[in-house]
Amino acid sequence: MARAGRDERAWVRGAQAGSASDLEALFRQHWPRAYRAAYLVVHDGAAAEDIAQEAFLAAVRALDSFDRRRPFGPWLHRIVVNRAIDWVRARSLRREVGDDALADAPARSDPPPRRLSEGVTGALAELTPEHRAVIVLRYLLDYTPGEIAGMLELPRGTVNSRLRRGLDALQGQLAEEES
Amino acid sequence: MTEAELRTSLLQNPAPGELEAGQRAWEVVRSVYAARERVPWIERHSRLVVLLAAAAALAVAAITPPGMAVVERVRESVAGRTPSGPALVRLPAPGRLLVVSGSGPWVVQQDGSKRLLGDYDDASWSPRGLFVVAAQDEHLVTVESQSGDVRWSLSRTEPIRDPRWSGGGLDTRIAYRTGSSLHVVAGDGSPDVVLAQDIAPLAPAWKGASHVLAYASHDGRVHVVDFDARSELWTTPRIARVRRLAFSPDGHLVVLTAREIRLYRAGRRILFEKVGRQHLLLDVAVAPGGGVVFADFDLKADATDLVRSSCSTSGACLLIPNTQLFRGAGRIGDLTVSPNGRWLLAGWPDADQFLFFRLPRVGKVVAVDDVRREFEPGASTPREFPRIAGWVEDATG
Repeated sequence: MARAGRDERAWVRGAQAGSASDLEALFRQHWPRAYRAAYLVVHDGAAAEDIAQEAFLAAVRALDSFDRRRPFGPWLHRIVVNRAIDWVRARSLRREVGDDALADAPARSDPPPRRLSEGVTGALAELTPEHRAVIVLRYLLDYTPGEIAGMLELPRGTVNSRLRRGLDALQGQLAEEES
Repeated sequence: MTEAELRTSLLQNPAPGELEAGQRAWEVVRSVYAARERVPWIERHSRLVVLLAAAAALAVAAITPPGMAVVERVRESVAGRTPSGPALVRLPAPGRLLVVSGSGPWVVQQDGSKRLLGDYDDASWSPRGLFVVAAQDEHLVTVESQSGDVRWSLSRTEPIRDPRWSGGGLDTRIAYRTGSSLHVVAGDGSPDVVLAQDIAPLAPAWKGASHVLAYASHDGRVHVVDFDARSELWTTPRIARVRRLAFSPDGHLVVLTAREIRLYRAGRRILFEKVGRQHLLLDVAVAPGGGVVFADFDLKADATDLVRSSCSTSGACLLIPNTQLFRGAGRIGDLTVSPNGRWLLAGWPDADQFLFFRLPRVGKVVAVDDVRREFEPGASTPREFPRIAGWVEDATG
């Protein structure tokens, strides 16, 4: 873990100095979880790609002012998860007010999830985006409830209750699917 | 399922499309990284520099009368006074500007020298800036941008509006409007065909170096057509109050309406900005490295905000915080990005100024004063504020 942290700091330093290979190392290290986290919250491949990509572009734009002493992952994950929640909310809002243009546009046919467990993905989709986000931050990105509270600017008690309710709902969904 | 099983399931199994999306995203990230400009040390540590400078200024002010003047100037700049500047003595970036005033279209060289091309009402650049296509009542004229010599012209029975030259190569096209018809003529003047009827009074837009064209029809739809194949590629649903059409360098169609900016990728709407009821969007320009800069006029405050949206790809970035570049009284528009992508030019009629903003981070604003008189030098009372009609690379050298 300490080695990974040293590598990451070196990559950030290299990327700040103009090394594309260091930036690529940083990207390869963080893309899978960033994309997966976004996907699990938004359940839309194109949107997840855009969210994760925008987070990396934000990182590139902020590279010169980035404090190398801070870990890169939490900074990136915070952007990804908050934008994913915003995206779901914005989409719900647009559906509520009606959107002829989006309705008329040909829908992008996302391939069905083949690799990530369909049961888990489907059960997650039944939760609210806020519940999905805390589950993803806790079990995919491995943050503590205290860290999640900081990232989402929520009281720690709220995070704990969302985790508990989210897990209960998830287990309920999975049990229903199995029966 | 236990917590451990859930963790294992999420960690070990990639999401659909994860790998392919990563490859595509890396290409985008790499290109933006390659295009970025490193921020100099002094800018990276600007807060510290400002604090030190302010401390020094206060110390000087406390002990000397001239220091009081320094403090006063600092106070003025913080209070948001308009920037003032000299006449247009040079452009901050390479290239040539086309500016249309009451006298006609002017070509402005980088060193600030200008040439009036003639008594035309509207004009736009040819793809490489070697020629200008101009309209004068019922006549369409192409002229050499260096000399102003007419190359060819054609006449119609109705006034000609919004001539626009397609980009790239030698086989170019010019689109223009007469009445409610959209015409397209080859860059050498022949042949001329009517591409569409019942079009809206709005300038058409060419997509990059292709012969793909977007135009708005009277019913509010925007059509994207391949002129060579005479086929319609896609059409939007009805859109209220379309004000401007443009294509981004990566081929997205940008549609500006009174209160929205919509982006379309191959017919699919992927992003919009929306402003409130008391606002009016005046103009939009595609920013280098993705995203757009738009002019948001606040009707109540009678002021325009120039805002940069850093979105570059989709509706996913709808809620990324925007950056305010500038706020000025009255209306600001004619947003034009320099050929090297490092400067944004805007016209500000209320202040009689052109404003040049350094991109991508707006740290520097260069103002040019007295613009009306600059482009109508002999007039006792200049008629109107000049319109910025394009900024192209200098291919004449």
